[in-house]
Amino acid sequence: MPETTDPKQLPGADPHTGNRLIDPVSGYDTTGHDWGGITELNTAFPKIVIWALVLSFGYSVIAWILLPAWPYGGDYTRGLLKRDQQVQAAEGFRDLEAGRQDWMTRFASEDPAELQADAALMQTALPAARRLFDDNCAACHGAGGTGGPGFPVLADETWLWSSAPETLVEILRYGINSDHPDTFYGEMPAFDWMERSERAALSTFVVALQDGSADFDSDAGALFTENCASCHGDDGAGGLEVGAPALTDAAVIYGQDHATVMETLRHGRAGVMPSWEGRLSDAEITLLALYVAQLSEAAQP
Amino acid sequence: MLRLHYNLEKISMGMVAAIIVVASIGGIVEIAPLFTIDETVEIPDDLRPHTPLELAGREIYIREGCYACHSQMVRSLADELDRYGPYSLAAESAYDHPMLWGSKRTGPDLARLGGKYSDDWHVAHLIDPRAVVPASIMPAYPWLTGSLDTSLLQDSLAVLARLGVPYDDEMIAAALADAAAQSRPESDGAEDLRARYGEDVPVSAFDGNPSHLSEMDALVAYLQSLGRLTNAAYEGLAEEDGS
Amino acid sequence: MTGTLTLRERQVALALAVLLAVLGLVMAGAARQGVMALHGVMAIALGLGLAFRIGGTLDDPAPPRDRLTRYDDGPTRFGIIMTLIWAIIGMGVGVWVAALLYWPEATPLVPWTSFGRLRPVHTTGIIFGFGGNALIATSFHVLQRTSRARLADSLSPWIVLLGFNLFCAWAVTGYLLGSTQSKEYAEAEWYADLWLVVIWVLYFVLYIRTLARRIEPHIYVANWYYMAFILVVAMLHIVNNLAMPVRWSAPESFPIWAGVQDAMVQWWYGHNAVAFFLTAGFLGMLYYFLPVRSGRPIWSYRLSIVSFWGIVFFYIWVGSHHLHYTALPFWAQTLGMTFSVMLLVPSWASAGNAIATLNGAWHKVRDDATLRFMFVAAVFYGLSTFEGSFLAIRPVNSLSHYTDWTVGHVHSGTLGWVAMIVFGAIYTLVPQLSGREHMVSPRAVEWHFWLAVTGTLVYVVALWNAGITQGLMWRAYDENGALSYSFLESVQAMAPYYLLRTIGGALFLTGAVICAWNCRATMRAAQGEATDRPLAVQPAE
Ligand code: HEC
Ligand code: HEC
Ligand code: HEC
Ligand code: HEM
Ligand code: HEM
Ligand SMILES: [Ca+2]
Ligand SMILES: [Ca+2]
Ligand SMILES: [Cu+2]
Repeated sequence: MPETTDPKQLPGADPHTGNRLIDPVSGYDTTGHDWGGITELNTAFPKIVIWALVLSFGYSVIAWILLPAWPYGGDYTRGLLKRDQQVQAAEGFRDLEAGRQDWMTRFASEDPAELQADAALMQTALPAARRLFDDNCAACHGAGGTGGPGFPVLADETWLWSSAPETLVEILRYGINSDHPDTFYGEMPAFDWMERSERAALSTFVVALQDGSADFDSDAGALFTENCASCHGDDGAGGLEVGAPALTDAAVIYGQDHATVMETLRHGRAGVMPSWEGRLSDAEITLLALYVAQLSEAAQP
Repeated sequence: MLRLHYNLEKISMGMVAAIIVVASIGGIVEIAPLFTIDETVEIPDDLRPHTPLELAGREIYIREGCYACHSQMVRSLADELDRYGPYSLAAESAYDHPMLWGSKRTGPDLARLGGKYSDDWHVAHLIDPRAVVPASIMPAYPWLTGSLDTSLLQDSLAVLARLGVPYDDEMIAAALADAAAQSRPESDGAEDLRARYGEDVPVSAFDGNPSHLSEMDALVAYLQSLGRLTNAAYEGLAEEDGS
Repeated sequence: MTGTLTLRERQVALALAVLLAVLGLVMAGAARQGVMALHGVMAIALGLGLAFRIGGTLDDPAPPRDRLTRYDDGPTRFGIIMTLIWAIIGMGVGVWVAALLYWPEATPLVPWTSFGRLRPVHTTGIIFGFGGNALIATSFHVLQRTSRARLADSLSPWIVLLGFNLFCAWAVTGYLLGSTQSKEYAEAEWYADLWLVVIWVLYFVLYIRTLARRIEPHIYVANWYYMAFILVVAMLHIVNNLAMPVRWSAPESFPIWAGVQDAMVQWWYGHNAVAFFLTAGFLGMLYYFLPVRSGRPIWSYRLSIVSFWGIVFFYIWVGSHHLHYTALPFWAQTLGMTFSVMLLVPSWASAGNAIATLNGAWHKVRDDATLRFMFVAAVFYGLSTFEGSFLAIRPVNSLSHYTDWTVGHVHSGTLGWVAMIVFGAIYTLVPQLSGREHMVSPRAVEWHFWLAVTGTLVYVVALWNAGITQGLMWRAYDENGALSYSFLESVQAMAPYYLLRTIGGALFLTGAVICAWNCRATMRAAQGEATDRPLAVQPAE
């Protein structure tokens, strides 16, 4: 600002500058005040600041004209664009859905088995399914469906209810032991009425089922056939009608060691698989069911 | 102008008054209308306040500073709708003293959490997050299995009622009974609780042990209530969708 | 501490100390157990400790008769010591909390070590403990020097400082024990809030009374900023903390605000805690120490006026930029956005005014690490306000909000600006108050400077990367129109940045520890007191 170097031309050179001092370095005059040694220059207001103010104010005025901005009484100015962030979000979401219409909507309307057979489609949908699984299911079933304590492995060949995609879709939609009115319902009753010794024998038997060393002709085997086979199957390989897990394999929900099985027998179990209806769309649910089926297939030799 | 300021600078109380006036304008213009413009908060018919147990859980959520990592506000952005569900409505936190919208998502948003996971999962996750989610960086809260202190619960409801939360005298009187009943599915109290707060209130032995009222019961009850105090957000989005 | 008090003042001080102990007793007695009882005990301990200390000096000789012809620097010295103590606590917890995000198992399984409880210990400890003590201590110094008058009385500066530190101690111990209102930067419970109101009113009264004694008819700019800090913080604090205790004998309370109104009030407060605590007050500091250290006049008085009133007026509007796309009405968001953009002008005007003040003193900036702290502070002030205005634009905020970008922005402001200007002020003040030319170790100051600059850059750059990565991952879509990443993947992607941030923070903390050591050594090697004297004729007290 060259014009300010001449003190006489300073725009604010009014009486308040009093006995002015000239700053030897800049050649500007000071305001004449002295606060324990601190002084101030009377440098003119830089024009660029005024321009910046005008510019930012201009930006703001335009925003105020276009967007909802100023409240008054019980209402506010809506702006020329009549923007509503919630409508915009809903529209944006619809656009997203439109963008995946060619493949995603097929999962809502077509037969799961046919979808499953369409390799190209499944390939397209796979990343979406994985993301949905990781955000919603992996917390319980583990990344990749590897299961966790109290939550079944999905990446294996055994199923609680059925391997049919239609059933899987229903399981996801309604849940198991969930608060949905149509939920699947599978309860392992408590056998607390049994003698502890009987439970212990049964438990040893169940643990042995895993490696095929269980003796069905023993007392415990008789107890099993009498009390458990109705749900878990005569050979303990699972009965798909009641959602009772297979006890003959290593893939367990709660753990097939003695202590855990004793706990199961003493108190019973009723694991909860949440219902996803409402939270996920029909298409997403079907997609996930097929994804889970695929996890299981991929895990089989 | 300069002259005016030049003189103002000499009067300390003048500066004080000027600062107060200048610094008040913005706040008044932005805050006052939030009380006078009706569409700011439209209370839906089905909105219920938190049950006493959920309220106790909310206090634990505050105490442990969960809000430091978790937001409870799905923003009106398409990708957030895609990931979390319907955007949050002002009405959903209308009874929240204070609101817990949060300002940082070290962990995911929790506004639509209710019903997403089972009680058992929450208990396992809170006791040791890495037991269920190996990559989690969330702290463990094993001490939540301790007993719930309910000594302030009744007074809390009474204070909130005075602040405008629709707790009636009966709810206040039954606060302790309701808190216990919500974690005892088989008890008679559960019916009374539902009569007061609505049929959809989840009644469950949240921590798996109905005979012991723990902090875990309260926190899980609270977590299960998130996003489920009203259905308006889901209905609102469906309407937007229809239009 | 008592050396400058008259016998009468010592008696009053003794009575007040006993009163504090009684207040503590009432609190502890009413609450009987829990946090409030502990806080009562803390008040009793402080009250009794002070009472014994003062009681023991009742028979000591009266202060020198000429005491009123000197500046009252005892409180400033004490305030600086507290600043340094809180710096180490606050930054130490900051580093620890940063480490926890990288290494979550490091938390012992006891409640008070949990991330959610420690985080507000960091923010309160550092903003109020470190920042607040620095502001109060320097404000006493600046006020006296620019007024050429001694503080209006000898007792109230001590009450203000001790009372304020009691507030900070109540607040952070409360969070550790789980007592919090959860309102960011205002987490302290209702009785601590009330206590702070009392202390703050005393502070304001002291300020105005001293200002009334100034000899220069005009009030210096630094004091405008300190006054804005005191006044507006009082206003914000009171409105945001309005709450109804569940019981008078219990710490729990419910804020009277709810939902969307609470959100707006909270961020009206929260943002202006930034504006009037972390900015206005420190601008006051800058406006004094920068010209003093550089020996240059403020570049433009006129620019000072515009930037001051611009800051006071515009800042108050912008809190709603913390609530973009939320359930807060759109109109309020538009106001927050536009005012944030306009705010950039006065912000840069102040930064520019500071930097232009260094014209003619650049050789000093090169040679003097202390002045360099202030220069870097002004630069980071400019950077972080620019960043802030940018983040306040809705579409930008849609990416940055909820991410570590915000935290990066925060620390470019707090490490780069707030902490740097405090260190600059401390390195100017401590030798002066010790009657010395220099700090004991100028080389340590140099080390501190480079540790601080490196630490800040590592921290801030790491978190910019972190935040932008996070924001992009959350909204990334693949070519088929599906979200690309799960939330957990974004958490995993943060690990290297969280590690870097911890390292950057540790460097910064190391610098602060060196500073504390250097200040202690300098104060111990004091060769007298500040030699400058007030000009104002002091009325008898
Ligand atoms: C709160 C934890 C939880 C979440 C989240 C969860 N599940 Fe489950 N899921 C379970 C439990 C527990 C079971 C077993 C129920 C039982 O014990 O009978 C189960 C069972 C299943 C089954 C039947 C397994 C079989 O072997 O037949 C499938 C399929 C399944 N879940 C898929 C999913 C998918 C897909 C998702 C995500 C959309 C999901 N789950 C989310 C807990 C969960
Ligand atoms: C009414 C049907 C029913 C009967 C009878 C029954 N079970 Fe079960 N059982 C189930 C169901 C359903 C589950 C799965 C529960 C869950 O997922 O929460 C289960 C789970 C189990 C488990 C846990 C498996 C794992 O993967 O961790 C064991 C062990 C078990 N049962 C053993 C037995 C034994 C031994 C008996 C007989 C004493 C028995 N069950 C009787 C239905 C039954
Ligand atoms: C240090 C930050 C941090 C704190 C503090 C924290 N969390 Fe988390 N939280 C996370 C992270 C990261 C995840 C994602 C990984 C996981 O599921 O554990 C998460 C996940 C969750 C989830 C699963 C959400 C979902 O939709 O998958 C819930 C529920 C939850 N946290 C509740 C809480 C509660 C309740 C508290 C307080 C008692 C809390 N969190 C404290 C970081 C935190
Ligand atoms: C040693 C240096 C520091 C380190 C390592 C550090 C670390 C941290 C960490 C880890 C967080 C939590 C972020 C999160 O939740 O993700 C945080 C938050 C915060 N820190 Fe620091 N900090 C340091 C110095 C400071 C200083 C000096 C100040 C202020 C003067 C400060 C003010 C804040 C504020 C205001 C927040 C809250 C940010 C928000 O809510 O967005 N910090 N800090
Ligand atoms: C022109 C000046 C500034 C503007 C417009 C501004 C704007 C912003 C914006 C938009 C956010 C992010 C809000 C969000 O998305 O949640 C933010 C956060 C923050 N800023 Fe600034 N900023 C400015 C200067 C500063 C300075 C100088 C500091 C520190 C000294 C600072 C400290 C903070 C803090 C602590 C937060 C975190 C608040 C929280 O979420 O807890 N800001 N600021
Ligand atoms: Ca924050
Ligand atoms: Ca408070
Ligand atoms: Cu802000």
